[in-house]
Amino acid sequence: MRAPSSLKQEFLRKWILGLQICSSSAKSMSISERKKAIKLSADIAMASARNGRTSWSRALIASASKDDNHGKLFVQQILGSDCERLTKISTSIKRLRCKKILKKSSGTIIRRRMKRIPDKAVASSIAKQMVNKRTQILKSLVPGGVFMDEVSLIEETLDYILSLRAQIDVMRSLADATEMMMNC
Amino acid sequence: MEPTEHRSSAIGPSLDQNALDSLQFNEEIQHLMTLPPENANSFTALLELPAPQAVELLHHHHHRRSPESNGSTAKLVTAKADGHGLHHPHATPHHFNPGANLTFPSDISLIERAVRFSVFAGINNSDNNHNDNNNNNHKVSSKIDKNNNNNNCSPETTGSVPSNSSGNLGKVKNEPAESDSDNNNPNSPQPLDIKTENQNQKSAKRKEREKKGKAATKKSKSGANDSSEDAEKLPYVHVRARRGQATDSHSLAERARREKINARMKLLQELVPGCNKTRQSSYVGVLAGLKCLGDNCSGFIVQSSVTEFGIHRGWDDESVLCAAADTSMASNMKSYVLQISGTALVLDEIINHVQSLQRQVEFLSMRLAAVNPRIDFNLDSLFVAESGSLIDSSFPGMVMPVMWPELQAHGNRQQYQQQWHHFDGHHQPLLGGAEESHNFVTPENSLLSYDSSANSGREELIPHQKEGGKNKKKLIILSDSR
Repeated sequence: MRAPSSLKQEFLRKWILGLQICSSSAKSMSISERKKAIKLSADIAMASARNGRTSWSRALIASASKDDNHGKLFVQQILGSDCERLTKISTSIKRLRCKKILKKSSGTIIRRRMKRIPDKAVASSIAKQMVNKRTQILKSLVPGGVFMDEVSLIEETLDYILSLRAQIDVMRSLADATEMMMNC
Repeated sequence: MEPTEHRSSAIGPSLDQNALDSLQFNEEIQHLMTLPPENANSFTALLELPAPQAVELLHHHHHRRSPESNGSTAKLVTAKADGHGLHHPHATPHHFNPGANLTFPSDISLIERAVRFSVFAGINNSDNNHNDNNNNNHKVSSKIDKNNNNNNCSPETTGSVPSNSSGNLGKVKNEPAESDSDNNNPNSPQPLDIKTENQNQKSAKRKEREKKGKAATKKSKSGANDSSEDAEKLPYVHVRARRGQATDSHSLAERARREKINARMKLLQELVPGCNKTRQSSYVGVLAGLKCLGDNCSGFIVQSSVTEFGIHRGWDDESVLCAAADTSMASNMKSYVLQISGTALVLDEIINHVQSLQRQVEFLSMRLAAVNPRIDFNLDSLFVAESGSLIDSSFPGMVMPVMWPELQAHGNRQQYQQQWHHFDGHHQPLLGGAEESHNFVTPENSLLSYDSSANSGREELIPHQKEGGKNKKKLIILSDSR
């Protein structure tokens, strides 16, 4: 599925704002720093293109605004007036969810003795554990995923995938264009 | 080594490593499922021990065949502690079991091969071998919850699988367990305890456990060393109970069995190189061997223990799955497992996709970073042409001429305009916004509205961005009309 062009446009708009910040300090940075800055600006731009409607975008913006490096700068630049509003929302949500997670993880290991294990129970236990393991991995991939329950995790993942695709398309176009210019 | 009758150990075709490593449930399971009919007995292929010791271990077990024991005892090959050595080399040599395979692969590839054949000799009695194994003070790094291991003697013989104690208490718990398991059972055939515990393990914990070191077995301290020698040839194992332990024959038997199984498991764990790092292929081999435990009615208990064992040790899911499916000889179990794991497969796909997308973002940002210093990313000099279909088709070709003028001269507005006009007819590229374009943009393109304020050619944008609220650059992207 092609990412909608409106999303791309929005992203591009905001990204250019962020890239301006990059360019101002471009001379002083090493290439890896630049890469990180570019990536960060792209991520924040993509997240802001979501306008705070999705949880992952809020989480991304929240984490970026806490970041010392350039995150805050990007966030302020790109989000503009929305900056404070969105970051407040993000951090408050995160705090709540942190507490939930702490509570959950405190006393969870339950050991059961399986004296008699029918086939199906074994199968289901295996399958459940496989699913759990993969869910954990997915939560670590999606920004802010650790705070979500599984249902919303899937939704967020889908949205995140779409956004990533749009972001990749835009970035690839820009990269191609600039490289082509450089080569000429 | 004494000659013994050699069991046929079916050595199947060497494993295709790729097949193992890939998430091919069906494939693996089918492979594994073809093995049971072969019914190979020897587990020795999984042993990488120095030959004599491993043989001793194995055959010691084999020797202990008792008439009563129906179920397969857990003939888990437990790791021998290197430092401690086997205390029963003297004990074992003469009762090598007939059929024991004396070949010992020396590298891990054979462990993979072990997948192809059902190796594990589920021989009945494991009792007196525990004596031998118990003598060795193995480094107990396993996570067996020994407290739970003091189960009742269940009628079925099960593989005693070291189950994971909660979190990090493995070593601690093994100590008391060790003292526990010092006894050997006096009587020969006793069913093994099931050390299966159903624990809800999170993957994080599993990873912890992986790193924590070896698995399983608790080794008892040197308790019944002498008794082992007696036990060799006798159908009964004389076990000396430790102080403070129950001397009930059943519990002793249980303990002996547990210890033997744990010894086997530990041996196995040490055999598999990097077992803590969860190489799937290795574990599949291990599990293939373990599956031999579950021959009879205790089959599914064994398999559950196997799966618990595997999961708690952080084995790959696929390995666990294969083991479980394998140990259950029932086809409905297999199908059930495969059906349920569909969710896992889907999640796998999603994870792979997200990871690949994220990687692409990294690459692209790296590309841009490489180009960046030579390109002025000032908004006013940046042209980015983009539209939905534009990207697919002739974007690079189109963008280049568009962006070209920017690089050449910032002040080259005439060229701009010409270029711009030129492209107007065909495409309507997105204007990344020079201010100078302002002039010809508005008359030219009704579609393009570019609101740029305070932009002159080369100004740094950050400070100017904040001036007076005029600094919003709004780019309206033209969509390609094609």
